[in-house]
Amino acid sequence: MNAEWTSFLVDRLPELWLRVGQHLVLTGVSVAFAILIGVSLGILAGRVSWIRGPIVGAAGVLQTIPSLAMLTLLLALLQRIGAVPAILALTLYALLPIVRNTITGLGGVSREVVEAARGVGMSRWQELRLVRLPLALPVIVAGIRTAAVAGVGIATLSAFIGAGGLGQFINRGLALADTRLILLGAIPAALLALLVDFALGATNWALDPRRKTGSRTRTKMATRMAAIILPFLIFATGGFGYVRARPDITIGSKNFTEQIILGHMMALLIEDHTNLKVDRRFNLGGTMICHGALVHGEIDLYAEYTGTGLTAVLGQEPSADPDQVYKTVSREYRDRFDVQWLDPFGMNNTYSITVLQADAERYGWDKVSDLESWAKGLHAGFPGEFVERPDGYPGFQNAYRFEFGQVSDIDAGLMYDAIANGEVDVIAAFATDGRIAAYNLRPLVDDRRFFPPYHAAPVVRTTTLRQYPQVRDALEKIAGALDDRSMRKLNGWVDQERRSPESVAKAFLRSKGLLKGMQKR
Amino acid sequence: MIRLSSVSKSFDGGLTYAVRELSVEIHDGETLVMLGSSGCGKTTTLKMINRLLEPTSGTIEVDGEDISQRDPVQWRRSIGYAFQGIGLFPHMTVEENVAIVLRLLGWPTAKKRRRATEMLELVGIDPEKFSRRLPDQLSGGQQQRIGVARALAADPEYLLMDEPFGALDALTRDTLQQELLSLKQRLCKTVVFVTHDIFEALTIGDRIAVLHKGELQQVGTSEEVVGRPASPFVRELFEKPAKQLAAFRDVL
Repeated sequence: MNAEWTSFLVDRLPELWLRVGQHLVLTGVSVAFAILIGVSLGILAGRVSWIRGPIVGAAGVLQTIPSLAMLTLLLALLQRIGAVPAILALTLYALLPIVRNTITGLGGVSREVVEAARGVGMSRWQELRLVRLPLALPVIVAGIRTAAVAGVGIATLSAFIGAGGLGQFINRGLALADTRLILLGAIPAALLALLVDFALGATNWALDPRRKTGSRTRTKMATRMAAIILPFLIFATGGFGYVRARPDITIGSKNFTEQIILGHMMALLIEDHTNLKVDRRFNLGGTMICHGALVHGEIDLYAEYTGTGLTAVLGQEPSADPDQVYKTVSREYRDRFDVQWLDPFGMNNTYSITVLQADAERYGWDKVSDLESWAKGLHAGFPGEFVERPDGYPGFQNAYRFEFGQVSDIDAGLMYDAIANGEVDVIAAFATDGRIAAYNLRPLVDDRRFFPPYHAAPVVRTTTLRQYPQVRDALEKIAGALDDRSMRKLNGWVDQERRSPESVAKAFLRSKGLLKGMQKR
Repeated sequence: MIRLSSVSKSFDGGLTYAVRELSVEIHDGETLVMLGSSGCGKTTTLKMINRLLEPTSGTIEVDGEDISQRDPVQWRRSIGYAFQGIGLFPHMTVEENVAIVLRLLGWPTAKKRRRATEMLELVGIDPEKFSRRLPDQLSGGQQQRIGVARALAADPEYLLMDEPFGALDALTRDTLQQELLSLKQRLCKTVVFVTHDIFEALTIGDRIAVLHKGELQQVGTSEEVVGRPASPFVRELFEKPAKQLAAFRDVL
């Protein structure tokens, strides 16, 4: 157990550093912005009393917006993923404590002192700079400290929109149900929060104007300077690694197992067959986030499904003809987004009417229409979405001209267990789910070709292909090599057997002889 | 010379007056004490001279020039002001406090230093020992001296002092009063000194202006206000402590 943990940690140490660096940049930059804006607003509110209420109110409202909602909102507004919307969101969150403490700090300077400042002939600016701000500084820094510590925590969510940071581990851990990965993100984030808290506490101590003493020895001055510089040092060293890494190709993925495996496969192929440097920005929120990132050039490619491209991205009616769907998305993506669909991997992750392998053998079920004469006595468990969608059960009844005796709505994640436990006889499985193999299930052939195709294929920016033509050659090596059965097996290895998506991707590519270099990375 | 002509100040749009129709002249080189109980308008008057407050009506002239025509910030830098309750900047060292007006006037560092040291010596504070300390680390009397040093640092022609010794014990106050008297003779400043303490007024003032409820009761030398009180209020004001003194002598 211990050795396992050690190797787990050692393997991920380089990435851990990168993520810590990203995390510090996200927090540091956003807090720096929040200081600039927040202190200015605080000063303004101190001078123009009627705007104080609205400013504090607005900052308060911003803080009550749930973090994920805020990120998604900014994503939609800015039309891009990555550090920019994340930093903007973190900045908005950091405003309240800084504005409030600036107002409190400036207002807390005694009237007597302020009057003396004016009386000796200070201009308003001098009064602020020489008297009010220095005296309010401890309170302001306390606000910054609150903001920064909270920021370290909230920054874990920015991985959701591809901004990296320690949240990347947490997201991946959640997508793969891997506690070790979650802890690998959560524990360093907590430690970072403590470190930032300590560093800013030290700064506050050093900046306290009342702590100046008669004896200013060199060591005392040095300690004080160190305490002021400490947080900058922490943010700067962390940030260094972040800025340094400049990849040639950035690959994205959505946030579920199959997407991560496909992402790794594409990354491994490019790394193996070209000498380009690849950045993996996986676990982006969902289809629209990946698509937006691709169109805006934040990622160069990811794996998309033809059906998803047709309906979710292009907003067209579903169609059952795979060739036509592929042609449509290829043409529309090229014209509208300047994005190319490369040759599909082979597997088709569509809905699939699935039964127990044992039942299929006993009753001789092979195609969906084989169920017709048994349907009255069968209990089906379908996801709610499938029951409602026109390309789901309603359309199914039209195409196959029969219905099941009993249909229950059931959660998409639970239906596999339901059929394995004999609670239902038929489910609408996702064709490449690892549990089909693991639970001995049998997807039936869609002989009326009713279900729309969801063939996965790399979607790549045209400009990227023009700049690096070798990317197309590398990715086309896998075209058609990955069928539903193989994909199910790979998904199962990750989901049920807890292997890492990268090792699974590598093992598959090797078994197909698609990797030149056999050396371990 | 500072001349106040029919100066009034109301904080509530004319319902009540903190100072009403005050006319008084402060001659060059004299110390005029404004005497009165709290709320009589003496601090308000001082703030109007400093332009921390603007009169509701009336004019204040300095050497014949209306000060409302002057830039208030520049004007404040040109006069010394020792504040009620001291008003030292708690985050600045003694030296920085003394040199603050010089800093605002843009003096070079070395010159500021030298001047601050001079000022500290003038008010009897050892610069070696105290110039790097913060005000909090000083006694009340020492802080008050720093306040006076600060007011004097830019060598202003006029010095405004608002109960500078009000918060001190009797012994310290007495010492500081004596020191102020000797300072006054050496420096030859025009001083406006606000106090509610009759003995302080009699000790320090060349002339005394007695204020009551915002109105000037009488202005004159100590002999004049004590010997020939212009109103029943002034008479009572000086009679009461005289009786107390007599009673005190009887006890002795």
